[in-house]
Amino acid sequence: MRETFIESLGITVYEETLDNGLHVALLPQPGFQQVFVTLTTRFGSTDQAVDVPGRGEAWVLPDGVAHFLEHKMFDMPTGDVFADFARHGAAANAFTSFEQTTYLFSCTEDLAENTRILLDYVQTPYFTDSSVEKEKGIIGQEIRMYDDNPDWRCFFGLLQCLYQRHPLRIPIAGTIESIAQIDADLLYRCYKTFYHPGNMLFFAVGGFDPAALLDVVRENQAAKKFPTFSVLERNPPAEPAEVRQERDVAQLGVSQARCLMGWKDGQTGLAGTQLLRQELLTGVILDTLFGRGSDFYHRLLDEGLIDQQFSWEYEVSNSYGYTLLGGNTTDVDTLIRRVDEAIEAVIRNGMSAEAFERNVRKAKGRFVLGFDSPSGIARNYTAYWVKGVDWLDSLAVLDSLTLEEAQRRLAEHLVPERRAVSVIEPVSMATGV
Amino acid sequence: MTGFASFDDGRCSVHILRTSQFHTRHIHVKMTRPMRREQVTATALLPYLWMEGTGEHPSALDLTRRSEALFGTVLQTAIGKRADRHVVEVYAGMPESGAGPDTLYKEVLELVWQVALNPATEGGVFPAGHVERQRSLHQKRIASVFDDKVQYAYERCLEEVAGDGPEALPRFGFVDALETCTPTRLWQTYEDFLRESRVHVYLVGPFADAKAEAERILRHLHKAFPGAADSAAGTFSHVHPLPPRGADERSVVEEQAVMQGKLNLGLRTGVAYADASYPALLVANGILGGFPHSKLFRNVREKNSLAYYASSRLDALTGVVSIQTGIEVSRYEQALSIIREQIEDLRNGRVDEEELEYTKRGLRNQYQVMLDQPMTMADLHFTGVLAGHSRPIGQLLHEIEQVSREQVVQAAESWQVDTIYFLKGRVQASA
Repeated sequence: MRETFIESLGITVYEETLDNGLHVALLPQPGFQQVFVTLTTRFGSTDQAVDVPGRGEAWVLPDGVAHFLEHKMFDMPTGDVFADFARHGAAANAFTSFEQTTYLFSCTEDLAENTRILLDYVQTPYFTDSSVEKEKGIIGQEIRMYDDNPDWRCFFGLLQCLYQRHPLRIPIAGTIESIAQIDADLLYRCYKTFYHPGNMLFFAVGGFDPAALLDVVRENQAAKKFPTFSVLERNPPAEPAEVRQERDVAQLGVSQARCLMGWKDGQTGLAGTQLLRQELLTGVILDTLFGRGSDFYHRLLDEGLIDQQFSWEYEVSNSYGYTLLGGNTTDVDTLIRRVDEAIEAVIRNGMSAEAFERNVRKAKGRFVLGFDSPSGIARNYTAYWVKGVDWLDSLAVLDSLTLEEAQRRLAEHLVPERRAVSVIEPVSMATGV
Repeated sequence: MTGFASFDDGRCSVHILRTSQFHTRHIHVKMTRPMRREQVTATALLPYLWMEGTGEHPSALDLTRRSEALFGTVLQTAIGKRADRHVVEVYAGMPESGAGPDTLYKEVLELVWQVALNPATEGGVFPAGHVERQRSLHQKRIASVFDDKVQYAYERCLEEVAGDGPEALPRFGFVDALETCTPTRLWQTYEDFLRESRVHVYLVGPFADAKAEAERILRHLHKAFPGAADSAAGTFSHVHPLPPRGADERSVVEEQAVMQGKLNLGLRTGVAYADASYPALLVANGILGGFPHSKLFRNVREKNSLAYYASSRLDALTGVVSIQTGIEVSRYEQALSIIREQIEDLRNGRVDEEELEYTKRGLRNQYQVMLDQPMTMADLHFTGVLAGHSRPIGQLLHEIEQVSREQVVQAAESWQVDTIYFLKGRVQASA
């Protein structure tokens, strides 16, 4: 078991890759009551076309299949696994995102039993056509719920403008039409392809003894047989530099308009510390330009153009990177113009060194504040692991950021050619949908 | 870890959790008074006005930069509502490893007091510019409630369940009343609020001497809150649950441009946090809809594929159980009848050993996890304060353990479906 002590946080991380390929990472937090345990596979909504060894051509999957599989993993030949967790007092759940599916539980007792339940159910595929059909009604309602959610609609509207080919365009749960194509056989095939331990991470954080927990995982895995793992070739289609369309407008039953602007990275392909560096650097830039402590944010509040939900986000992975900026607005076009002017001005005049330093310091403080939340740590650790990044390097990377690289990054990233806008307008109460 | 140690002085209290477990030190000030329709909007504006600037940091930008420069300290204010009480809150969270041991804490605490006790003024009242900006933002804040339909349906249902009582008042207040919120009127509201409110300060961190820290803070508050020591804590009445009313159910249907229907039920139980039967009520709600093993999840979602979410939630102070589902509009009758069946089954004692045991274990897990979440613990403590009944987590855990099936059934017998709320889309409605 490899131990890494991180002095700035006073924590130790224990890691080991088991014989079957499963990577185990444990982050004990002495004094915590709960243990938050996750089992993650590199299979998300963007795994839409895969080169499976032995097959000639790329295998194309229906939209939403990773998420559908996540739902169906909870079925066991013996019934539904929620009852097993409930018997041992654990709260279980799962989620699917662009690049991962994560199964999780938190508990304060019976850690060994709950850990075995987690490993066993995720490693026991059991699907029938009738249970798959039944799930379509449930996921159909999940999709409907998102259809009514303005934040979600605005977000996916933007990704669909930014990307011409990259499967980021696909809604994570798919559509009612796309999930209609899913059957038990397809789920088995996806399971075999993506749920090999060599494609997976076991991560636990909270109050536990790492040696004892590792023993439970080792013993459980040693008793199971898996074929040899061959690394999957994921080849997302080459994404052109240009956006697909400059603007998308949808109407929903909301009280006010909202607008998200997005910029996609032209250059992708970063990995490891380089990727983490780009993410943290871009975050500090956006916070400096548009955050709560920026002149820009307060000027727009004064003008009544935005409200306090205005926010930014930067997401990056090996095959994509994008910035989002926006929120509710009283005037979409004025907002866009103001943002453009602000970016031009800071490219021309340079970024304030004082503001940059302040926001680096803030980012470091916020990183430390996050360490009281086992669920937050688990979400971050697993998401970065999937990208091949050690998230715990963040403080060191933040310390090394410079104003010069920020200035360079700003000028190459926030360019009008790679920008798109997604707008949600309130549907008129008089006319209805 | 032990719980909060409380120190009282008249209408001010300091509650301290001494611990060195966390990376964050927390300061959470909760000031409360009963909600009244004519004050509710002006009171709701106060915490947002406070963030517009203080005497020392006269603009929202200055104030934000000050807190962010303190190693990314999070400084927030909010307006909350617990049963019939309005709660004005100031929160600060700072990293323990920022500066020296207590240096950062002292600076942040000073900033918290500036926000609540020394807001920026102009001619002796809130600056007109600040008021203008916040009135406009507040209008949007009120309007935004409409945009998240899951939350909107939940709140609308609770509003209907509360009827004409102060519990029905929206925590943000009313758009119509914003016009009357002039700088002078707001300043008057602020002074009244300082004079009338009950003040609770929650602190979490590695304090060397809790008593000394509490006394220091109480001395400070004594100066800031006129007559702080004179008004006895007892003059603040406790919160009581909403009693079941009449036999008739209310049915409320609302139409909007939505894809998914939201079917919510509000039940009055007449029981709340201070009652001896509260633990049984907690277990009963858990069996009905608190978990994935609960009746609602299994029957509405798993067996009949009617919904993605189907759950129930208990409000500890009003004693209202609210059931929430998102369904296809055309399946309304079927969903409602399944939900009713689950309530009836609970009332008729159709609760098996496993449901009871799983629910008790699930609740135990929830409350034990709370020990890792000091701000959630503070909320639970605050619930006890408002209800006038102290229940340390250890005691609550013990009481849950003791709950029998008979007590669960007994708790459910007094439940009354008060309101059936349905938000439906126009398209489906006319199809």
